[in-house]
Amino acid sequence: MKPLSTWGSSRNPVKFRIPTSDNLLPIRLDIEIDGQRFRDAFTWNPSDPDSEVVVFAKRTVKDLKLPPAFVTQIAQSIQSQLTEFRSYEGQDMYTGERVVPIKLDLRVNHTLIKDQFLWDLNNFESDPEEFARTFCKDMGIEDPEVGPAIAIAIREQLYEIAVQSVASAKESRMIKKGRKGFEHIPISKAGGIAVDLVKSFGNKSSVIRKRKEWDVFEPIVDLLSNEEVDALEATEERNAR
Amino acid sequence: MAMEASNVKPPVSAIEEAHLDLYTIPSYSSWFQWGNIHEIERISLREFFDGSSITRTPRIYKEYRDFIICKYREEPSGRLTFTELRKSLVGDVSTLHKVFTFLEKWGLINFSGTVSAEPAEVQQRHKKEVRVEEGAPYGVRVVAAPNSLKPVAPLPRPVDVGGGGGGELAENGSKFPPLASYSDIYGELLQQQQQQGEEGKELVLCGSCKQLCDSGHYEHTKDEFLLLCKKCFGNGDYGSKSAHDFKYVDDTNQVVWTEAETLLLLESVLKHGDDWELVAQNVKTKSKLDCISKLLQLPFGDLMLGSALRKTKVWDRNAGQAVPAHSVQDTVTGDDQQHEHKNQGQQNANVEDPGPPHKRLCTVPNLDASSSLMKQVGRLSSVIGPPVTACAADAAVAELCYENRCSREIFDDDNFGDELGYSARTDEEERVLPVENSEGEKGPTVSGASEHRGNELQEQTFQKNVVPLTLRMRAATATSLGAAAAHAKLLAAQEEREIEHLLASVIETQLKKLQRKAKYLENLEMIMEKQQDQFGEFEEDIVAERMKVLQEIISAGIPRWKDHTSMKSLTGNVL
Repeated sequence: MKPLSTWGSSRNPVKFRIPTSDNLLPIRLDIEIDGQRFRDAFTWNPSDPDSEVVVFAKRTVKDLKLPPAFVTQIAQSIQSQLTEFRSYEGQDMYTGERVVPIKLDLRVNHTLIKDQFLWDLNNFESDPEEFARTFCKDMGIEDPEVGPAIAIAIREQLYEIAVQSVASAKESRMIKKGRKGFEHIPISKAGGIAVDLVKSFGNKSSVIRKRKEWDVFEPIVDLLSNEEVDALEATEERNAR
Repeated sequence: MAMEASNVKPPVSAIEEAHLDLYTIPSYSSWFQWGNIHEIERISLREFFDGSSITRTPRIYKEYRDFIICKYREEPSGRLTFTELRKSLVGDVSTLHKVFTFLEKWGLINFSGTVSAEPAEVQQRHKKEVRVEEGAPYGVRVVAAPNSLKPVAPLPRPVDVGGGGGGELAENGSKFPPLASYSDIYGELLQQQQQQGEEGKELVLCGSCKQLCDSGHYEHTKDEFLLLCKKCFGNGDYGSKSAHDFKYVDDTNQVVWTEAETLLLLESVLKHGDDWELVAQNVKTKSKLDCISKLLQLPFGDLMLGSALRKTKVWDRNAGQAVPAHSVQDTVTGDDQQHEHKNQGQQNANVEDPGPPHKRLCTVPNLDASSSLMKQVGRLSSVIGPPVTACAADAAVAELCYENRCSREIFDDDNFGDELGYSARTDEEERVLPVENSEGEKGPTVSGASEHRGNELQEQTFQKNVVPLTLRMRAATATSLGAAAAHAKLLAAQEEREIEHLLASVIETQLKKLQRKAKYLENLEMIMEKQQDQFGEFEEDIVAERMKVLQEIISAGIPRWKDHTSMKSLTGNVL
């Protein structure tokens, strides 16, 4: 029997971490210098020494033949994201029983992906990379960059939710006394994005979705032509500015 | 928002319907049942059964499982992908994936649909990873193929001579050369012998260069067939043997046998058998040793040696009369002996003419008594030519007749009265004499030969009955069919016995299996009962403890609170 204490509950908050089996931090870079734009996303292991950041930045610049001004920018960006992560690390995270919807809406090279599914926040052995692998295999995606992009997108969302739950944990601790049960907390405190567990998983309902909802939860993978890619990129840049 | 009930057809109704679909699952998954959750599932997917989350209960698990399997079975030939599946199920994708992989591992889904995109991808990847290297890898040396022309194994004599049938022998070294006629194998030799008959010299072919060896040749000590001419020996062209193994054989004093001499030899051997002195005397020009070696060289020579023994008395008596071509000589009944008989038939036919080739029984038919009668007959008759088969059939019929008195009456050629049993010699007498009889020979010799028999019998048999031919034939077929039938009956009886035996053993095994099962179930029952008792005890203990605790609380005067959590913490303190 799995001991209850490894799962965050109102009695046992867990130290903050990304709720996946490997505690990897998603890092996103979006740097522009002199009209040159560098965008990237990857996972970083926060237990690596910080000296690695500069080394990594230098290597990236060298491999991609970017102007050396990028080195410092990249290193700074990574560092700041790391620090932010670390600031949460000491605190307690309260996750409770949370199943959250994760939405994918990303474009990687020529592949456009839209999807949504449920993710158990409490499952500290979940593996976004494995999910991404299965996804690409089942959908027959050959572009090797898609898998990691999916995994990172998932991680980012999980990270965000984890951060929120830290915040909510702080709040809830103050108002905790006298409260019964913990099912209501996620709804009231974390912005209501979690799924109502009692309704979905309780004894009165079926875990099989209604057929008309299947389309909503079905992944959509589109292969774009070059023109479409260019058009989309243009709109994205416009939006970013 | 209430979810409506599962819109997938529940499996129960599928069974209730008239047609049952057949789905294949592997044998190691036979534990699976629709209505139950098995121990294996409980252990592998623990999180559903330990109450750790409201999102994972046994009911939920069962719904997932049933839905997934039904969904797969809608399309059993294709592979159900996880992504296709998860859109229809509410739940954490990681957990769903776990259930999915569990079911896939146990072959409950995607069992027959092994076609998936992945192997193709993997193959492609592997293809891309293949490196083409030039030349042979390190450590491998490329050498020229060994000279296949050189004979590696010692070749039997016929191959030296050449010939179509013999060629095959050399290649695959099989034990039984194909049915080649004598002329195939000995064709060249014959020619040579004919030549030799003219030139008076025996020709020897070299094993490696296939040319005639003139004056002397080298013969391998171990294998007299491996011959090398002087030239090859000088060249060192030994094949796989070493020089020491060869000894020099001088060809200069070869013995020459003319046809007339051979004829004389054969006759004298037939007459005198093993008595080589006499044979040598008959064949005046050749010595004893020469006679023996020549006889051995002739086809059937050695057989003649053996059979000559048995013929001695007969021939003595008959003063060396040659037996006419269609002979009915034989010794003992049985198919096995027909073989020899045929040989003799052929031999005798060839006494006058040793030259013309006749079929040589190269293949020794595997005359094992276990093969059916008809098979043996068929095999033998296929090997030899029609006239010989006819002789053989005659002989066989005659033999069979001896066993049956009435048929003997029909076939009147033979003497009666062998209820006394056979002795080889008397048989021969009878056989030989009837032949003479049928040609209308003298009566006195007959009676003289069988003087130990009753006179009446002699007289009876002495007549030449002219029984109609059709009756004879019918009798002949009847006897042969009878023999075949008897054999078949024996075989059938044997088969039946075997069937009974096997059946008995099968039944026994089944019984043993049932016994074991029963014993096993008994053991289980015992264990369960014991466990039940234990649980009963536990229950009692717990109830007792609880009562004790309550009593202490009451006695301590603590007022009852509605808040369970605080009560628990207090009781924690008390204990």
